[in-house]
Amino acid sequence: MTATAPTYPSTAPAGPPALLLDSITKTYRSKAGAVDALRGVTYHFARGSFTAVMGPSGSGKSTLLQCAAGLDHPTTGTVVLNGVTLLGLNEVELTKLRRAEMGFVFQAYNLLPSLTVYDNVALPLRLTGRRPARNDVQRVLEQVGLEGKAKRRPAELSGGQQQRVAIARALITRPSVFFADEPTGALDSGTSRQILGLLREATDRAGQTVVMVTHDPVAAAYAERVLFLSDGLLAGHLDRATPAQIAAAMSDLEG
Amino acid sequence: MFFLSRQTVGRHRSLYAGSFVALAVGVFLLGLAATATAATIAYHGPTSASISVTTLGGDGTAPQNVKVPLSDADVSGLQTVLSLVGTISGFITIFVIASTFAFAVASRRREFGLLRLIGATPRQIRRMVLGEALAVALAASLTGALAAQLATPLLLRRASYTELAPVKLEPASPWVPLAIAVAAGLLVAMLGARSAARRAGRVGAIDALREAALEPPRIGPVRVVFGLLFLAGAIVMLTLIRPSSGEGAVPLAMFTPMVMVIALTLLAPLVVPLVGRLWAVPLVAWTQVSGRLARSNVLAAPRRSASLAAPILAISAIAGSMVLSLSFAADSAAATIRDAVRAPIVVTGAAPVDSAQVKAVDAGLPLRVVRVAADYAELEDAEGIDPAIAAQTRDLTVRSGSLAGLTGNTVAVSKEMAGFESYHVGDEIPVVFPDRTPVKLRVVAIVKDAFGVNPSFLIPLDLARKHAPEAQTERSFVLPADGVAPADLVKQVPGAQLATDWEADQADGVRKGNRLGLVMLLGPAALYSAIAIANTLLMGSLQRRHEFVTSRLLGATPAQLRRMVLWESSLVGTIALSLGTVITVTVGVLIRHAMTSGVADVPMTVPWGILLGIGALCLILAVGSALAPTTYLLRRSQPSAAVD
Repeated sequence: MTATAPTYPSTAPAGPPALLLDSITKTYRSKAGAVDALRGVTYHFARGSFTAVMGPSGSGKSTLLQCAAGLDHPTTGTVVLNGVTLLGLNEVELTKLRRAEMGFVFQAYNLLPSLTVYDNVALPLRLTGRRPARNDVQRVLEQVGLEGKAKRRPAELSGGQQQRVAIARALITRPSVFFADEPTGALDSGTSRQILGLLREATDRAGQTVVMVTHDPVAAAYAERVLFLSDGLLAGHLDRATPAQIAAAMSDLEG
Repeated sequence: MFFLSRQTVGRHRSLYAGSFVALAVGVFLLGLAATATAATIAYHGPTSASISVTTLGGDGTAPQNVKVPLSDADVSGLQTVLSLVGTISGFITIFVIASTFAFAVASRRREFGLLRLIGATPRQIRRMVLGEALAVALAASLTGALAAQLATPLLLRRASYTELAPVKLEPASPWVPLAIAVAAGLLVAMLGARSAARRAGRVGAIDALREAALEPPRIGPVRVVFGLLFLAGAIVMLTLIRPSSGEGAVPLAMFTPMVMVIALTLLAPLVVPLVGRLWAVPLVAWTQVSGRLARSNVLAAPRRSASLAAPILAISAIAGSMVLSLSFAADSAAATIRDAVRAPIVVTGAAPVDSAQVKAVDAGLPLRVVRVAADYAELEDAEGIDPAIAAQTRDLTVRSGSLAGLTGNTVAVSKEMAGFESYHVGDEIPVVFPDRTPVKLRVVAIVKDAFGVNPSFLIPLDLARKHAPEAQTERSFVLPADGVAPADLVKQVPGAQLATDWEADQADGVRKGNRLGLVMLLGPAALYSAIAIANTLLMGSLQRRHEFVTSRLLGATPAQLRRMVLWESSLVGTIALSLGTVITVTVGVLIRHAMTSGVADVPMTVPWGILLGIGALCLILAVGSALAPTTYLLRRSQPSAAVD
């Protein structure tokens, strides 16, 4: 485990929040009874910020991410993305918003195995009905360090390379918000650092907002702020913390 | 989205292999039926063998000229069988395509979820699945059409000079029939893929993040409503299989099972667990853990079980009902012929009249007349008879009117024909004779039906001789002189047979004709269903690698898992077969009732061998095609694979 904390820009970018969660609750009902995954979460994610969400398993962090990204409907509360309230949108409007404004990176790389790297990256553009410009695709591939791999298929790449393809695919539409769920969960520490560096770069260079769910204190330390979630409620935060500080806070929560 | 479809089809080749084979075979059969039909249409028989007549008109239709070919009935038997082959192939193709596509979609939930996640709209997903279907369908239809074209001469050679088509058939231009077959294949594939595509469109982005591909537990209200509608339709059709339906009862008995199968398939997620619970009782009692596991697997995934059961149900119900109906129809035909012949001796061809040992010879002249109606003209079988003699040699029981007046331009009509066309004694029926003379025949009597012995129209012998000079007697009914034993007379007259022997030959002929038709109808359908059964079960089992690996990790031995799959597939097969049996028995009982009313002592021939063979084949296929991939998977999946 590396102990060196990454450096941050001295001032956080200002402006209206990129993503706003207002009193989000989420209750799952099943035959066994109701489970409250989120019990009222309110938070503003500032534009250009890199926020990590941590918490013990079952604390609701994945549910939070899914509600924030409009993948799941909160039971009560509202989500506002760049001024657009997700609640009133139908499936198609939500999809169009998703492909214009959001990028996703998950633990499982979620690439289409039948498509080449190039086609995987260009897919979001094609879905919007645009013909992808070769230069744009090449540019993001260079950005994630995959120049020369455009013709490969995902199965021919290492885990870290596949995750970089996923990031390139998220970058190609220039989304304003990145949602990442355990993006380094399946990678070794060296590769993890490259991936987190890419996300960091997105906020620093392009002013994109990153919301990342993780259980890894080292990954969380790349964020400016770490939110802690416990039993469906926000339980506090740490700013510019070291992995050691984050790990200590986590064991407090779990203990 | 088509570029995606093209690439994903390549990727999921194994998933689509089943659809491809099923559709290619379907189009092959459709194409074969179409090219053969084209050949029968192109067949014109002996030259100048058609008559131009003008229909009567009236009731808002103008009189028009129609050409009635005199020999079309020669190939009409084959045409009927071919159209049935086409219908059944089309029916089963929709079925198989729908279930294979549903399977393909269900096993790709995560992939669709991922596409939704990165911005595909439900519409785009639907179009992608339809695009895949189109790509597969196009390749499969063209393959099937090509195969049909290659096989057509073979089929025509086999079908020529048979009971169904006693003529030489030559291949006709293949373009139109094959285009029809390909178009039908594409249409069928699109129809089959539609519901699967819609289901794919409903996959949410969040499904990309979920591990288990659990099926939605409940069946939709629309499906239930349609299932009930089809069930109601099938029940109405069943009630129509009654004595008053006459000849129509047999086609009804063939088509009702199809409607019933649709109804049961739609309702299968409800019906299959119900029947499954019943059959699982002995299974759980007899076996240990494997039977119990099999029971929960079948009951917990009603949709999967239902789609596995569907092809078995379809072929067992359709084939069973058809075999039974045709056998009972042949029984009834045999009894009718038996009752209709009164003479003790039948002579093939004309019989010598001048012998002292012969009291009377009923040598009827068979001919065909064109019956002219208001808006159509049709070729009908008729026979010229001497009513005085014929009334002694065969059953000519008069329902109304009198046979004594059967002289000059008159006709006696069978009761069924009179019923269809509402002819009454005193009506006039305009006909055109083979010598092109138009004559109005006055109905003098309505006589009892006697299929196989008397045609629908009986005219005076002189009239037949006059207008059909070329007509030849095909069989004569002979009454021996008083004191002459029929058995002795038979030995002296060439071509003579005891009536009982002749009747048995006729019944045999009917069965032989039926057998040829059955082979043509059920052969392809059975081949097809076998593909379908194997296909669904293969795909179903191959999807279960993960489950098997986990079970192995938990300590299940390969033998236990194989037993579980064995019981599972037997259970599904038994469920389907018991539903198929219920349909077959219901149809059988009804058709038996319809066929035997008014005829005494009808023999009953149940083709047990064929029926049990169908059942056994279905079960063997079901179990075999579930066990084979399981064995393959188990050999390749050690418990350690669960960690990957």
